[in-house]
Amino acid sequence: MENKTMIKLVIGTEGIFFLALIMAFVYMAFVSGYEPANLHALNIKLTAVFSCTLFASSGTFWMAEKNYNNSNRKGLLTWLCVTMLLGLIFLGGQAHEYIGLINKEITLSSSLFGTSFFTLTGFHGLHVLIGLIVFGILLVLILLGDFDRPGSSVIACAGMYWHFVDIVWLVVFTVVYVLPVIHVLK
Amino acid sequence: MTDNIKIPETKQAIPGLSINNNRGLLQWITTVDHKQIGIMYLVVAVIFFLVGGLFALLMRIQLAIPNNHFLSPETYNQLFTMHGTTMIFFVMMPAIFGFSVYFIPLMIGANEMAFPRLNAFSLWMTFFGGFVLYFSFAAGGAPDAGWFNYAPLNEKNYSSSPGIDYYCMGLFLAGIGSITTAINIIVTVLHYRIQGMSLTKLPLFVWMVFVNAFLILGALPSLNAALAMLLLDRQFDAHFFTAPGGGALLWQHLFWLFGHPEVYILILPAFGIYSEVFQVFSGKRIFGYSFVALSAVAIALLSFGVWMHHMFAVGSGTAVNSFFSASSMLIGIPTGIKIFNWLATMYGGNIRFTVSMMFAIAFLVEFTIGGLTGIAFSIVPLDWQLTDTYYVVAHIHYVFIGGSLFGIFSGLFYWFPKLTGRLLSEKAGKWFFWLFVIGFNGTFFIQHILGILGMPRRVYTYPDLPWYGFFNFISSASAMLMGIAFLLLLWMIHSARKHGTASGSDPWDGFTLEWMAASPPGNQNFDRLPVVHSRRPLWDLKHPDNADDE
Amino acid sequence: MLTLLNICLTRRLLQSMLNPSSEQADRIARLFNYFNVAAGGMVLLVSGLTLYICIRFRSKKTTRHIPEQTKGNNKVEALMITVPGILLAFFFYQTVSVMHSVAPEPDHFPPPDVIITGHQFWWEVRYSAAGVTSANEIHLPAGKRVLLELKSADVIHDWWVPALRNKMDLIPGKINHLWLNINKADTYAGVCSEFCGAQHAWMRMNVMATDSTSYRHWLQEEAATALHPADSLSAKGSVIFAAKTCGGCHNISGTASTGQVGPDLTHFASREKMLGGIMPVTEENIYRWLSHPQEIKPGSKMPNFIFSNDTLKALSHYLGQLK
Ligand code: HEA
Ligand code: HEA
Ligand code: HEC
Ligand code: CUA
Ligand SMILES: [Cu+2]
Repeated sequence: MENKTMIKLVIGTEGIFFLALIMAFVYMAFVSGYEPANLHALNIKLTAVFSCTLFASSGTFWMAEKNYNNSNRKGLLTWLCVTMLLGLIFLGGQAHEYIGLINKEITLSSSLFGTSFFTLTGFHGLHVLIGLIVFGILLVLILLGDFDRPGSSVIACAGMYWHFVDIVWLVVFTVVYVLPVIHVLK
Repeated sequence: MTDNIKIPETKQAIPGLSINNNRGLLQWITTVDHKQIGIMYLVVAVIFFLVGGLFALLMRIQLAIPNNHFLSPETYNQLFTMHGTTMIFFVMMPAIFGFSVYFIPLMIGANEMAFPRLNAFSLWMTFFGGFVLYFSFAAGGAPDAGWFNYAPLNEKNYSSSPGIDYYCMGLFLAGIGSITTAINIIVTVLHYRIQGMSLTKLPLFVWMVFVNAFLILGALPSLNAALAMLLLDRQFDAHFFTAPGGGALLWQHLFWLFGHPEVYILILPAFGIYSEVFQVFSGKRIFGYSFVALSAVAIALLSFGVWMHHMFAVGSGTAVNSFFSASSMLIGIPTGIKIFNWLATMYGGNIRFTVSMMFAIAFLVEFTIGGLTGIAFSIVPLDWQLTDTYYVVAHIHYVFIGGSLFGIFSGLFYWFPKLTGRLLSEKAGKWFFWLFVIGFNGTFFIQHILGILGMPRRVYTYPDLPWYGFFNFISSASAMLMGIAFLLLLWMIHSARKHGTASGSDPWDGFTLEWMAASPPGNQNFDRLPVVHSRRPLWDLKHPDNADDE
Repeated sequence: MLTLLNICLTRRLLQSMLNPSSEQADRIARLFNYFNVAAGGMVLLVSGLTLYICIRFRSKKTTRHIPEQTKGNNKVEALMITVPGILLAFFFYQTVSVMHSVAPEPDHFPPPDVIITGHQFWWEVRYSAAGVTSANEIHLPAGKRVLLELKSADVIHDWWVPALRNKMDLIPGKINHLWLNINKADTYAGVCSEFCGAQHAWMRMNVMATDSTSYRHWLQEEAATALHPADSLSAKGSVIFAAKTCGGCHNISGTASTGQVGPDLTHFASREKMLGGIMPVTEENIYRWLSHPQEIKPGSKMPNFIFSNDTLKALSHYLGQLK
């Protein structure tokens, strides 16, 4: 119980942190007019594919949790590994995107868009990374046999955090990739 | 007599919880005991108060006469920045957390915080945050752009010393510590209350700190985001706050979205302390419990909707200004409810003028003055004249000292016997009270007038205009009284610990559970506890025939 | 009481928001008076109640009775809410109405009469129509409605002349406007009110309000190019000024010096004070300033130079005659 309350509070406060970053992005990218060139620099389709892997990982973690509650250690292990793999693919996609942008000379210091884009997506990526580290620790603990029986709230808590990171990405993706498309089309 | 219940065992195994009589330094550093952590928070607060106060006294010496050359402008600017930052983040926050983590478990009949290790982590984050901030002195210059550190003055082009980088990192660390403490407090209050103590029966101190914790969770992230952005700007040439067309204002929005709730974060726990003190020393229960409790929620909610009242002079248009004017004024109502309910609590009581109670009574008047000058700012045209003058400095100190600090002092005199088993001397305490209160009013009341006469804040010196020198001199001289008073308090604490009168477990005839524990409380806090039926479990025990009815 | 007395005395002596000299400041001052009465009453009420309760209900050592345990009273609570509520409603109404009359918001502003640009730590003043640039002393016509345009060259500054009207920030990347109706010809002290760095304290200014004929006269004089050196010493000074880097930062119209980083010096000697109010413009003071700027105004953006006494004399003599 305590752990779940705690993780809910963490999610609440982190949510506000991201809200501040998203507000900053909107302020910087939209207030003085969105620059269509930025849109062309982004590869929205590819990013959409990588986003799907992240969204899928929420589902796979849900499977992992279900297996845990049914005392199915093997299922737990497999689904956890799949989740981590999907998370890693997402991070790989992000790294790919970053390298592409940097090659186009869009960096943290090159423009307002660069500044706010890299900060927002970077902090999100950091949270994905933290999630993966937590999963890594869980993996070791599972192998050591700490999660053979249901009853611990730790897996559920890690899951809530992971779903939260997913939802944040949904918002970030909408604001950074989808909205400008609508904006520019108009 | 009553249905005594044993307190439940701690739910989690707590490492290192072996308080023996020889508490070595190592034992203090590694402890996860909420009482020791609470005391360490208080010690951190006292040390930083000495430093922050010393800075203030140096500033007052510089300002005592016109055209003074005691401090260089660079030094002065570092001093007022560090003074404000220290007082807010490393005096008031730790003091509040100290009382919170010490007394929440005791007041709700628990034997620990929910997450003891996290509790220790929070303390050390606060401590290291302060350390990093102060390291800037050694690293080439303290931050010098004011506690709210406006952009673009906080950027590399205008502030090339590394001070502001340390400001970012120090406050970020302390901010994480505050967030984890807030989480810990909420979980503790939600899950560790003794049987019978529903949320509507919480002691008001616990209630205020509980509401406050949500305020912290809501406010701190936006500071952390702003600090992260600023650090990216300074270290990696990002362009958040140098951006043409509003970057400078983005900082102000983010900062005050944190900054305004922050000032209420510093007052709500003090309101909690006063609520306990007024009840006990009037011998009555609180008048209008639900009004006092719910008005805190109202203040907390409103506080997120007023941030632009710090920005009335940026030129944002009548509609925006009107909105923030109205929301700021509205806060006067729930605060007024509290003031009048405390007066009503005293009404008809049997008032004992202990030092603790005297600070609470003085608070009523001083805080009303400070609150009303706040209302002056919420009247936009007046703010246009008064903003960034000494009138603001006066407002700050009337609410921070007359509000928060008096609350801390009141709590210190009230709970010191619980912390140490000894009473602070009431006689010396009265000296302390009068010295401090006179010094405080002498220093800051006159600053209202200086502000009206046109003296801006944050000036290292001023020309010899009519009255300026005279008023500033009075202000500076009175500030010294506060310094003397505080040294007296330190001596009192020292001598009380050495040879103060033993207090017993319940020196003030208290109402709440902490007075059932030994002074200082033992390892497990309580030996026995009653089932709670009302908001004042101890009153019920002492007056079974006149027990509270809820 | 004592403080009230002091304020009354001060009204005679010092310009402040209590001694308004423009239509706008006047309305604000009146609102401030209402507020002071209401707030004073509120403080008296709270302190009076506190005192009364403390005396009447103080514990008497002999009889320690147990007071009646009252719980609350909804009628009293309602009173606690409605009375402050009514007061606040009144002041909110006043706020909005004064705001509208002080700062009307037209959709578009006409060309401003004056453009004020904040610099660390001085004020640049530009009269575009007349082609005049000056610093720290702002000449304006009294009895006429004028529009100021406010902006910043570096960090945030804040325009404040207490006797004239409200503050307005000077923000980099943003342009603010301010209307002024000055009632009577006088010199009004003003000061930068947003912390802007090391010398924020010495970023003061004066507004010189004159009737419109003298104002127009002043503009004409200012528009003229700088006086030619009148004697050999100042001629020497003008050569040094051009030879050293001075001209890179300062403008003197009619010469080759066209810098824009520091204050315009074309009619420098016709100003009363220099350096944002630190000292009057005299040859000795110019000499002191040029011999060690960073001691006179530490942190200001003019670097130290190493000059011989003769050079300093020539320079200060030259600048001192730039009427
Ligand atoms: C503990 C801290 C604290 C508290 C409690 C408050 C309380 C309030 N503050 Fe203050 N404030 C600060 C700390 C605090 N403030 C600080 C630190 C700054 C400066 C920051 C900086 O620039 O460095 C500041 C600055 C500040 C400004 C910006 C000034 C400027 O820079 O231009 C404004 C503007 O509206 C404001 C308003 C208010 C209001 C309306 C309240 C209200 O909550 C007050 C409510 C209380 C009362 C009204 C009194 C009791 C009520 C009654 C007795 C009932 C009757 C009352 C009425 C009828 C009104 N404050
Ligand atoms: C909780 C908050 C708090 C507290 C308690 C105080 C306490 C004091 N403050 Fe401060 N103050 C602020 C918060 C606070 N302040 C803030 C937020 C600002 C704005 C900063 C900014 O603009 O950025 C400010 C700004 C500020 C200014 C305006 C500076 C300026 O604008 O130029 C002044 C000037 O008089 C001042 C004075 C004082 C004084 C005299 C005290 C006195 O109460 C202090 C009394 C001191 C003691 C009691 C200490 C005793 C110590 C000794 C006797 C020395 C012994 C030393 C050793 C043993 C090491 N403060
Ligand atoms: C790097 C730029 C720079 C250079 C070079 C420079 N100045 Fe300045 N000067 C300034 C600035 C900026 C100020 C305004 C200082 C302030 O008030 O904060 C100033 C102020 C002055 C003033 C006072 C003006 C007033 O109205 O208050 C005088 C006189 C002056 N400079 C003369 C000189 C002379 C003579 C030289 C050459 C020897 C010189 N300056 C070179 C930047 C410069
Ligand atoms: Cu310019 Cu302060
Ligand atoms: Cu505020």
